[in-house]
Amino acid sequence: MLRTVLSDLARLRLNGSVCSVTQVREKGHLNRPRLRNPYWFIRQQRSQTDDQVTGENRSFIKEVIHDTYGTPALIKGVQTYEQKQLIKTNELPVPTEPWTPAVRRCGVIARKIGQYPLWLKNGERIRTTLLQVVDNHVIKYIPPEEYKPTQRPNVHNLNRYGCALVGAESTNPAQLTKEYCGIFRDSGVMPTKNLARFIVSPQAALAPGTPLNVGHFRVGEFVDVRGKTVYHGFQGVVKRHGFKGMPASHGVTKTHRRPGNIGGGGEKGRVWPGTKLPGHMGNRWRISKGLRIWRINTKYNVMWVQGSAVPGSTNGLVYIYDTILPLRKPQAAPPMPTLYEQPEDEAPDDIWYEQVHNFKDESITYKPE
Amino acid sequence: MNQADVSKLMSQLRIAVRPTKRNLKNPDGPEGRLLKLRKTVTALVKHERIELYYNRADEARGYAELLISNAIRHGDRHKATMELADYWLLEKQLVHKLFKVLVPRFENSNVSYTRMFKAPRDYPGMYYRKSVLELRGNPYPVLTPDNSQNRNLLHNVLLDEARKEFRREKLANLANKLAAETENATASTTATPAQAPVTETQTEQSKQAEEAPKA
Amino acid sequence: MNINVRILTKSVAQQYAFKRIVTFSTKPTQQAAAAAVPQQQEVTGPTVRKPIVPAHYRFVYPEFLPDPKVEWRNAVREKLERLDMLDRRRQIELPEFYVGSILAVTSSDPHAAGKTSRFVGICIHRERCGLRARFILRNVIDHQGIEVVYELYDPTIQKVEVLRLEKRLDDSLFYLRDALPEFSTFDENMEAEPLEEGAPVPINDIKVVLRPRPWLERWERQNLLGVANIEQYIKDKHRKSAEKVQKPWEKYDLMKQYRATIPEEEQKEIFAEVHTELHTLELQRKRNKRKRTFVKPKHLA
Repeated sequence: MLRTVLSDLARLRLNGSVCSVTQVREKGHLNRPRLRNPYWFIRQQRSQTDDQVTGENRSFIKEVIHDTYGTPALIKGVQTYEQKQLIKTNELPVPTEPWTPAVRRCGVIARKIGQYPLWLKNGERIRTTLLQVVDNHVIKYIPPEEYKPTQRPNVHNLNRYGCALVGAESTNPAQLTKEYCGIFRDSGVMPTKNLARFIVSPQAALAPGTPLNVGHFRVGEFVDVRGKTVYHGFQGVVKRHGFKGMPASHGVTKTHRRPGNIGGGGEKGRVWPGTKLPGHMGNRWRISKGLRIWRINTKYNVMWVQGSAVPGSTNGLVYIYDTILPLRKPQAAPPMPTLYEQPEDEAPDDIWYEQVHNFKDESITYKPE
Repeated sequence: MNQADVSKLMSQLRIAVRPTKRNLKNPDGPEGRLLKLRKTVTALVKHERIELYYNRADEARGYAELLISNAIRHGDRHKATMELADYWLLEKQLVHKLFKVLVPRFENSNVSYTRMFKAPRDYPGMYYRKSVLELRGNPYPVLTPDNSQNRNLLHNVLLDEARKEFRREKLANLANKLAAETENATASTTATPAQAPVTETQTEQSKQAEEAPKA
Repeated sequence: MNINVRILTKSVAQQYAFKRIVTFSTKPTQQAAAAAVPQQQEVTGPTVRKPIVPAHYRFVYPEFLPDPKVEWRNAVREKLERLDMLDRRRQIELPEFYVGSILAVTSSDPHAAGKTSRFVGICIHRERCGLRARFILRNVIDHQGIEVVYELYDPTIQKVEVLRLEKRLDDSLFYLRDALPEFSTFDENMEAEPLEEGAPVPINDIKVVLRPRPWLERWERQNLLGVANIEQYIKDKHRKSAEKVQKPWEKYDLMKQYRATIPEEEQKEIFAEVHTELHTLELQRKRNKRKRTFVKPKHLA
């Protein structure tokens, strides 16, 4: 009796040891698209813990930051730091090579700050999006010979373009990792929240520390704006693709917002590639191309571009490039490599495209024929 | 919604407000949601510190803050505010507490009237986030650990030394600059053509000394 | 600019120049809060004159308040928008008016005979904020109800005249579409009826008579004050369904109201920025009006 009980117990133990690990094979969560940076990327944010620094020492750390990078200041509507010792733009060499339509200039990092209407001089109302260039500085320029992109360009484009690293929105370095701050060490720029890489021709190379402002672009020219669209989650076909759905009544059951038939049988009896079906909506990188710049405000570094469908949410980041559309490329040479703003020159705050009605002008009237 | 409602005027809340409300799962819909929150607000005013699920606490917090701020704003002679208090406080003796105890307590405060802390979750059990919601100035012992005795932590000791050295350097810089200025002044009064290069170097030094504290 | 800012150095002033008025931390130390209070008292002690913004500004200039939806707000955009609005207001007189006021709008029209068109009507709705602010005018012309949507800051508008400044009992008067035509008929050659200076805006408590069903909307559900005969046309089933969709708890939903409004502190900040400009424009307008009244007796003589 006792022996059987013992052997039972032994068997139980044995079984228990085999089944101790429960395997989870199904996913208990939505597989939503998200940014998966490569493992060799440098971590940006330091983990925030309460380090119990005394008040005096906290203010001392702040003082050292202000000592090295200047006091906090509001420059062109963006909270940043006075980086006075950074670079003297009037000492930079003027590029000797002339501009050609094939030259690729650097882009800028901007925030989409909202939309509002403007009116043309013929009374037409246009919808515009406001993009604010937020405290941009060039951090590094990699010449074509040294620049090794992950996707190797074809032989024709080999060693044709360099790369400019641009940072936007300086932030408290105490919140960032040491490795991330190391990126900025040689340029002397204060570590920034956002980084972007722009493919640049060697003629349009920029010195590290150069500030990029909205004057980089001119009124009337066209730009491409790249941003990440608003994420709507997993959506059905009515919202995602604008399907009409089915009637609410008149005998319709259970198919009010369904896609309906998605194809025939026989040889074609499968889901064809590209079929519009429910799925994740938004959260994709998209480029709106060929948007005209209607107006520029140099005081707040804001540009008004055509349309209210610039990808991304309000207060979201977008990247602005010169347009690649062949018919909308600039006719005259744009500022090369960028416009160096001098503190002494008195430019008007607002620069309007000639077709746009300035609110300071009188009301629009039509002449009788 | 595209235009602000101007018929009502409210004070700014001193807490972070979510852009949208939480529905707080309820079979009775929005009315039931408010009943849930009324119970929480009443309990908060009654006990001054309560422990509950995070979502409900976060929702109720805004209502409690606005109730107190309205009471401070309009006082107990205002009919609409009295109606509000009557609706939100299910136990009627608490209406007196609101106007006679909480309003004098928070009248001159320039921070939020409530505080919220994250509380540990039950394990095993309902794995929802929990929190503690309390009115400021309550009679209970404080929940946050006392971190005032942190002077002897190693990094604070090191930072203290660094600070002292930094100050010393700054003072030395300042002294150098002053000395250079005085020298400069004396040199300029007795300036001769032969001494000109010397003064130039001195001015350069003084310039550097001026720039140093700025950098 | 208060006094301590003037005393402080330029760099420090610059540092705090653009910050929002109210910056709150949910966890300030007791000492910091205690230290902050006496400082403020010191500041208010000497004569600090802030521009006093009249309380009625939010009714007169509602479009200066931004959309309260948090996701769409941005301080720089709102500031630029306000500057543009002020620029436009310098060019054209955009008078105070409310839903229920009778307006005459003259606008450029490439298709009209003299390239301008004038429309007289009652304002039945006002919506949107900033440069998109717009209103709807309604009138009955040749037995045909006409509604025109005007954008307040549209540069093709040449003149906005308020013929009769008054309010109605409701916030929007869409029910005039279902009312008898005489309630939305106004004479095109109507003369302006000026109000005395400083007099409160009168509320016209006229009750509109509706046509029988069918209606464009279910008016019985909207608790309208300005309709006389709604009971005449509804049956018990309408009454019951109207009762079902009522939301009597919404007047206690403080957070819902908070999310639909701009807080008082922010309103003060916004109107303090535009107040002086708007005030000078108002004074200018008054002066011009007086000039016009002096001209009149000559004509009579």
